[in-house]
Amino acid sequence: MANPTSRAYARRSTYPGWFFLPAAIIYGVLFLVPTFASLYFSLTRWSLFSSEFIGLTNFYQFFEEPFLVQGLVNTVIFAMITSGLKVVLGLLLAVLLTSRIALRGYLRSVVFFPVLVSTVGVGITFTVLMHPTQGAINVALELVGIDGPHWLTNPSLALYSVALVDVWKGVGLATVIYIAGLVAIPKDYYEAARIDGSTPTQSFFYITLPLSRPATVTVITLSFIGGLKTFDLIWAMTRGGPGFSSDTIASIIYKQYQAGFYGLSTAGNVVLFVLIALLVVPLTMYLNRREGHE
Amino acid sequence: MAGLELKAIQKSYGAVEVIKGVNLEISHGEFVVFVGPSGCGKSTLLRMIAGLEDISAGELWIAGKKCNHVEPRDRGIAMVFQSYALYPHMTVYENFGFGLKLAKTPKDVRDRKIRDAARILQMEHLLDRKPSQLSGGQRQRVAIGRAIVRQPEVFLFDEPLSNLDAALRVDMRMELANLHRDLGSTMIYVTHDQVEAMTLADKIVVLNGGVVQQVGSPIELYQRPENLFVAGFIGSPKMNFTEVTIDSINGGQVTVSGADIQPTELSADTTGLGEGDTVTLGTRPHDLLADASGNISGHVSLVERLGNETNVSLKLRSGATWLVVLDGDRELRHGQELQLGIEDQKAMIFDAAGQARHMA
Ligand SMILES: Nc1ncnc2c1ncn2[C@@H]1O[C@H](COP(=O)(O)OP(=O)(O)O)[C@@H](O)[C@H]1O
Ligand SMILES: [Mg+2]
Repeated sequence: MANPTSRAYARRSTYPGWFFLPAAIIYGVLFLVPTFASLYFSLTRWSLFSSEFIGLTNFYQFFEEPFLVQGLVNTVIFAMITSGLKVVLGLLLAVLLTSRIALRGYLRSVVFFPVLVSTVGVGITFTVLMHPTQGAINVALELVGIDGPHWLTNPSLALYSVALVDVWKGVGLATVIYIAGLVAIPKDYYEAARIDGSTPTQSFFYITLPLSRPATVTVITLSFIGGLKTFDLIWAMTRGGPGFSSDTIASIIYKQYQAGFYGLSTAGNVVLFVLIALLVVPLTMYLNRREGHE
Repeated sequence: MAGLELKAIQKSYGAVEVIKGVNLEISHGEFVVFVGPSGCGKSTLLRMIAGLEDISAGELWIAGKKCNHVEPRDRGIAMVFQSYALYPHMTVYENFGFGLKLAKTPKDVRDRKIRDAARILQMEHLLDRKPSQLSGGQRQRVAIGRAIVRQPEVFLFDEPLSNLDAALRVDMRMELANLHRDLGSTMIYVTHDQVEAMTLADKIVVLNGGVVQQVGSPIELYQRPENLFVAGFIGSPKMNFTEVTIDSINGGQVTVSGADIQPTELSADTTGLGEGDTVTLGTRPHDLLADASGNISGHVSLVERLGNETNVSLKLRSGATWLVVLDGDRELRHGQELQLGIEDQKAMIFDAAGQARHMA
């Protein structure tokens, strides 16, 4: 009975065609034009006022960038660490914040708060907190007898320190997505499992984890893309340093842009776009294929 | 042997008392049905037996063991939920075996038990399906199968048939009765449908407002309801009531009359009753018959001719409407006057407190 009705709906649209014009204009002006323009400018030597077509030279040059490989590796590491930690911490926090604890509503706001703060502000604050000798973190560690590391000045640690701050800032969003997923799981499943002899830990692994899979897919996808594009936090905290040890593709592109190589940095953006597509499209296809089974 | 005993069980949510001191004994192998209107506390009582709800006061004994603080898995129970609560990401096979898997039952034993249960329910061909690929009736059977696999001493059912259509409900009702006969386990079954209660139960517990109204076999409840609530709740169609005054008392016989009824002699327990007292007379629609010299008269307001019997709504003088089921087909006109008699004095007297006055 539902079928013929829904087919009729599909054929006869609810709104007149011109309703979609405003959205189409905005999309065209703000998205399509810049995208194609940047594709074009990536093939030119471009100084804002004049551009000269030079073919793929920008791309050759971009791939010859001495620290590009490290930037690529850093970008992928950063994206994997942050999305992995956001999944794990977001789910655990969501489980905690959907259980019967005191101050639940208040704690939910606390967890979400960092999402609302400006990234640059967070970056500057944590740069101060992570100062090797005077930063609050190491001062606190010293009180319990631990010699805190040089969070942002040790080249093998800087990228990971920034990643931790990114997780701190972004985990609230993951938590909110997970909370929405968890409250949609009927309580009956947990009661049936309890009668089947399931401990709370077993219920988590056999019920909560598999049934929050749609939320997991959303969190992974969003935070992985966000991680690959990450720029502002890195720039605010390390500017890619020490040396080039925490450079990501986005920060490399920005440096080229700062140096006035507009065509080159535009080519870099095209490369970043392709990289994100190459990694994320198969990832979401994989995640959604498994999900479709339920 | 897994009998149950409930001793002065109470349940409060904050200041709201939902179960108000329930005493009940259930012996091994009995099919007990909790029946009552929606919101009377049936589910709450069942969930306390299951261990899903804390017991505010009183004691719960299962198989001779005090179970107030025993985990659900250690009570020897299995429960079938109204929503079925099948794990949506597991196949039927995995749903059946989940409890055994958690109990670390060896794989071959588990497999045998799962297949046994599937055979009992004739769903071996569905073991690889996910719940979403099953019909409502099939899901219901999976829910029952999951309970069977646990081989519990006590089965708990919370309105298990209420999501099925009428025809399927009758089928599943018979299947549950067969299952009870074959397994011989104790079963406790919650429903608001008194027909389900009448057809399935060895023993019915009628609940209202968190208080047990009466416990007894279906026939006992039908023939000798203890109070107005049970009399009105058990039996379909519902019992008819009217207010009457006692004209005279003569040993076990009492003569009553009222706006709707000429003086009528009935047998009743008259202890404590006196002439002039107002009581309630109740009589079942099937116990009335068309009789030109009958004591009750009214105007026909609705006729349903079913062929084998005729349902008549009768507007009485007091304004009350009675339902009468007459044998055979009757041609009655709307508005026509009809005289009724009560068959074999089959009417009950309820005193001012609503208690039935059956002869001892
Ligand atoms: N968690 C709860 N908190 C407060 N009141 C509840 C809760 N669960 C049930 N109740 C109340 O207890 C009463 C009995 O509920 P329930 O046992 O579900 O009734 P039934 O199954 O007979 O329809 C209802 O009035 C309901 O509102
Ligand atoms: Mg209920």
